[in-house]
Amino acid sequence: MEDLKEKLKEQIIDRLNLEDVNVTDFSDDMPLFGGGLGLDSIDALELIVLLENDYGIELANPEEGKEIFDTINSLADYIQKNRK
Amino acid sequence: MNYISSYCHISSASCSVNGKIINTFNTDSLDEIISELYTSLGIKYSKFHKMDELSKVGFIGTELIKNSFPEIESYGENDIALLFSNQRSSAKTDIKFLDSYKDGGIPSPSLFVYTLPNILIGEISIRNKWFGENMFTISKNFDTEYFTNYCNILLNKNAEAALCGWVNVDDNKIEAFFFFVTKKDLKQLNLPLESKILSGLYTAS
Repeated sequence: MEDLKEKLKEQIIDRLNLEDVNVTDFSDDMPLFGGGLGLDSIDALELIVLLENDYGIELANPEEGKEIFDTINSLADYIQKNRK
Repeated sequence: MNYISSYCHISSASCSVNGKIINTFNTDSLDEIISELYTSLGIKYSKFHKMDELSKVGFIGTELIKNSFPEIESYGENDIALLFSNQRSSAKTDIKFLDSYKDGGIPSPSLFVYTLPNILIGEISIRNKWFGENMFTISKNFDTEYFTNYCNILLNKNAEAALCGWVNVDDNKIEAFFFFVTKKDLKQLNLPLESKILSGLYTAS
């Protein structure tokens, strides 16, 4: 699980072009949106694409996104339970 | 009569402001050139890294004009018109976007955002909170008559000043020219906004 969290941080930095952010800049329970990372709605769409491309998870209900993408903990937990 | 109060050229070889070279580049990599220019600005703006190359060059040119003309801060949020043009619209990013899903992949939302050239104007507006008139046109060449006439109309109507740009980013080349037009010759550059003078400044890059 810890490996997955670290990988997710690296993927988020890479895919969302967070050039000024390091893996150590965000903790597992830090809110991904509305916080210091400055993510926006386009970033949310990119995270949905990341889930599908890299983990084979298609988000059937976009309403779930808010909860899933809340923190690295929630995202890793969701992937762990739903990855194919 | 309106006046050019600041101007800036960015090419793959160098960058100059008001005729004075401030950067020269010894690389063919557009990424490196853009990165070097951004770093030299000494600012941190996380959204910059998400932009496509066209918007990045538009952003950098605007920052350089602002640095050379601090009086720009005194204009109200609706006072500055943004008038931009280029040769190939957002073609480079359009192709990248197509490539992002041509082999059965999922289209990239963040690339899709930049498949219109006027997002460049949007990025400048968001950064500076400038909400005046704006226009992005596609033209075969830098059209001095168009810029001169349109600027004069804008400054005679709703705008107090205009930031103009001709911004081209192709596969391996940057060619951009920015100029800021004001109602008075505030910087004493003695550059009235006339087609001939504009043409001279543009070709002096």
